[in-house]
Amino acid sequence: MKILGRTFIILFAFVLLSGLMVAAVNASGVNQPNFNGERTEFRPQGGENGGLPFPNEGRRPEGGERGERGGGFWIFGAVKNIVVIGVLVLVIVWPRSAAKKKKRAVTTP
Amino acid sequence: MTEEVSKSALSQTRSKLWVDILIFAAFLITMEPRGSGLAIHEWLTLSMLAAMTVHLLLNWDWIITITSRFLGKLGGLNRINYILNWLLFVDGTLIMISGIMISEVALPFMGIQLPQGFGWRRLHDMSANLFLLMLGVHTALHWSWIVSTFNRYVIQPVARMLGVGAKKDASA
Repeated sequence: MKILGRTFIILFAFVLLSGLMVAAVNASGVNQPNFNGERTEFRPQGGENGGLPFPNEGRRPEGGERGERGGGFWIFGAVKNIVVIGVLVLVIVWPRSAAKKKKRAVTTP
Repeated sequence: MTEEVSKSALSQTRSKLWVDILIFAAFLITMEPRGSGLAIHEWLTLSMLAAMTVHLLLNWDWIITITSRFLGKLGGLNRINYILNWLLFVDGTLIMISGIMISEVALPFMGIQLPQGFGWRRLHDMSANLFLLMLGVHTALHWSWIVSTFNRYVIQPVARMLGVGAKKDASA
C-alpha cells in the first residue's frame, strides 16, 4: 500500500510536469512552423505539399538523424557519450580525492 | 532483528546497483537511435519511466529526509545533489514528453496520431544532451558509492568464483 501511494505520487508529479510542459510549449509558439523568424510561404491546405510551408520541415529525414543508418557510425556517438560522462566524472572526482589525500597527509604526522 | 534489518538493507543496495546499471545502459542505448533503431529507441524510453519510478522508490527515504531538511541545516553536497536530482527528473520528463510528441513507432502502434510538432524535436534533442551532462555530474557525485558497491556486489563475487580470494587465503 505504501509503495502504491509513493508510485502514485511519482506518476502524479510526472503527469503534472508533462501537462505544464505541453501548455508552455503551445503557449510560447515554439511549436509553430515559423518560430524564430523562419521563412514561411503560403501554400493552400491539401495542396502540393500538404499545407506545410516547406516539404520536409518538421519531418525527419529518411533513415536520418533518428532512423536506422547503415555502417558503424553510431558507435562513435555511443563512445562519445561514454567519454563525456567519463570526463565529467574525472573532472569532479579527481580534485576531490586529491584534496582528501592532502588533508589526510596533513593530519597524519 | 538487527541482522534481518541489515540483510534487507544489503539487498536494497544490491537492487539499487542493478537498477542503476540497467538505467545507465538503457540511457546509452536510447541516446543512439541510429544504432538501436527507432522502435527500440521509443519503447525502451517509455519503459524507462518504470525503471525511473523504481529508482525513486528505492531512494524514497533519502528524498523525504532531504526534502524535510532542505530549508534548514543541510550539507552543501546534499543540497547540490537534491537540486540536481530534481533537474534530472524535470529534464527526464521533458525528454519523454517530447519523445511522445514526435513518436513515429510507439504511439502509431497504439493507434494514436499526434499533429506534427515543430518545436518538440528540437526540445527532444536539447533535453537529451542536457541530460547526458547532468548524468555525468550525477555519476561523479555518487562515484565513491558506485565504486564501493560495484566492488562488493560484482568484483568480489566474481573474484571469489574464480578462486582469486581462495588463493590469497592459501598464500596468507
